[in-house]
Amino acid sequence: MELLPQALVDGIMLGAIYIIIAIGFSLVYGVMHVIDFAVGEWIMLGGFAGFYLNEWTHVEPMLLLPAVFAVFAVVGYLFQPLIHRVLSGHRGNPLLMGLVFTFGLSLMFRGLAQTFFGFYSHSVPSRFSNGSFFLQEGGFSMTVSSVRLAGLLYALLITGILHYLLKHTDFGLGVRALAQNRDAAGLMGVNNKRTSAYVYGIYVGISAMTGVLIGMILSLSAKMGPDYTIFAFFVVVLAGMGYLAGVPAAAFLLGIIQSFFLIYLDPGYTLLAVFAILYTILLVSPRGLFGKGV
Amino acid sequence: MKKAVWLALIAAVAFAVPLRAAEKRDFFKVGVVTELSGDLATGGNVTKRGYDLWAEAVNKAGGIAIGGRKYKVKLYYSDAQSNPSQGAAAAERLITQEKVDFILGPYSSGVTIAVAPVVEKYKVPMITGSAESPLIWKQKFLYTFGTIPPVNFTGAAAIQTLAGLSPAPKTAVIFGSNDTFSKATAEAFESAAKKAGIKVLKFNIVPAGQDLTPLMSAAKVLNPDLVAFGGHDEELIKLVKSLRQIDFTPKALLMHYGVTEPAFVEALGKDANQTFGGAVWTASEKTKSKILWKDSPTYAAAAMKAFHVPADYTQAGSSAAGIAFQVALEKIKATPPISEAKRAELIKALEGVDVETFYGRVKFATEGDYYHANVGLNPLTIQIQGGKVVVVGPKRDAEAKAQYPMTPWDKR
Repeated sequence: MELLPQALVDGIMLGAIYIIIAIGFSLVYGVMHVIDFAVGEWIMLGGFAGFYLNEWTHVEPMLLLPAVFAVFAVVGYLFQPLIHRVLSGHRGNPLLMGLVFTFGLSLMFRGLAQTFFGFYSHSVPSRFSNGSFFLQEGGFSMTVSSVRLAGLLYALLITGILHYLLKHTDFGLGVRALAQNRDAAGLMGVNNKRTSAYVYGIYVGISAMTGVLIGMILSLSAKMGPDYTIFAFFVVVLAGMGYLAGVPAAAFLLGIIQSFFLIYLDPGYTLLAVFAILYTILLVSPRGLFGKGV
Repeated sequence: MKKAVWLALIAAVAFAVPLRAAEKRDFFKVGVVTELSGDLATGGNVTKRGYDLWAEAVNKAGGIAIGGRKYKVKLYYSDAQSNPSQGAAAAERLITQEKVDFILGPYSSGVTIAVAPVVEKYKVPMITGSAESPLIWKQKFLYTFGTIPPVNFTGAAAIQTLAGLSPAPKTAVIFGSNDTFSKATAEAFESAAKKAGIKVLKFNIVPAGQDLTPLMSAAKVLNPDLVAFGGHDEELIKLVKSLRQIDFTPKALLMHYGVTEPAFVEALGKDANQTFGGAVWTASEKTKSKILWKDSPTYAAAAMKAFHVPADYTQAGSSAAGIAFQVALEKIKATPPISEAKRAELIKALEGVDVETFYGRVKFATEGDYYHANVGLNPLTIQIQGGKVVVVGPKRDAEAKAQYPMTPWDKR
């Protein structure tokens, strides 16, 4: 019982990592109807960009995040037309085409990363990585790591900004219109190609920043991508495919389940528990936790 | 025109086939199955460096000397992609298509266990310069050998060293990742701890690659003297970071393979210091040899020159695997290509190998639970001190005193 607050805090911190992994992924699915299997590799590439930038400039990686975002947002923006081309035209099953295309991308990025960055694992050194707060009240105590807290704040900030962008700007209106009905949005003057490119740019930028953060909290290696892709996929499926507002709740739920299993039950069955709960929820509510997915 | 090209192609293939069948060559075809990509690519590439260095050194010396002639070696790589079934397919391809004479084996125990039945089926000898799970040797494969002793042989030594420290650790939390090697490591730690009178407060096998921070929070409450973990490179780095983040410093932190990898120190900086590990070889170990490299420092220097990273015991074990083949081939005077009968003879010769190498003594067990694993070596306990790998046990091999108990994270 004395571990309860710690289990909750650890779960929430884990959930925060899942939010930032999954939120851009969900946005891209909602707007472009692409299940981007390269999400883990965008995270990995961003992490390495942060790692080398830090090595080069010795600037605190937290402060490098905007620069990493800017570079990768441009990369994503320039990349999107390729995906658009694969999805459009008279092709049989655009969803499948997108899946195969991004899966291929992920393999290619991983291979290139192994060639250029080597096989070793790295860590992005940050002054936040070292600190922690210890709180004690009565019989309860908990330790909160400062770098994980920074991760949580970052996740909340990104969620807040995306919420504002989607609900309170003209661009967001266009994005939501596209997600609802591409043809009708086009007729109303929303430029599908350009809006999708912006969205993909934002997603790649967020994923890249997430990579830097993961490098600070956990570790970084050329082969890390698939682990994160799988969790992004789970969170998004649990939230409801393309239902952005469901992502934080789904991510926190997964994080807390995992944390409780690791602490209270058998750690060996953590992933089994996560999958079992995921499948049960999908059986009861196939469109995700809130029934609002596609 | 097109027709002519097709005909030429068919003719070329038709001529090529008989040429292959009547193969005559003056070099050994050495197959290498290891993890060049995927999750275990780090370790796979460490073995590759070891095998490459051996081949380069042998060829530089003119080749393997048999009956007054020297035969060079040529390595044929096949990527196991960190996947046991791909590893088995890779071995099959090397044997049936490339027709290799013998095989240098995978980095991981999981892939080795999948490859062993394939080499058994085709009767092609294999030595792995890395795999450490005792499960491989228990199955008594005739054609599979290994230069690194099994982890229950080496892991126990580290616990014994720790039990001899003052004040001796009384309690432990032990866990391992759910893969063949890591699980065996954790189990070896557990049984050795029990034998040494250390109370195991918690023992868990966890899914590989997870964030273990919550589990470490639970361990922190138990406040064990010793935290011991069986895992691979990236997991070790994550674990130390987790302990750092929840601000828990046990008296001793023990891991196994991966601590000696340069990446561990590079990624963790001063947080890597004082971590204990198990090893069977270090760059400064006192060894003497007449084959290729005269001692450990000479090998370490050659490795540094070739790859610009310090060599660890897996890389050394991989080079030693090549040496073991070399010694056995010279003994039976086998010339390439090696026939099936000669390969059977090679197995007998390997079983008889007892040789001092730069890596230490290589002698394969011929019976019991360690069947065909190298039992010629002394397990060492190492500790990272000032960013360097230092031997701290057993006493007669120790280069420095163990730093114990660990300095708290925030006082470093």
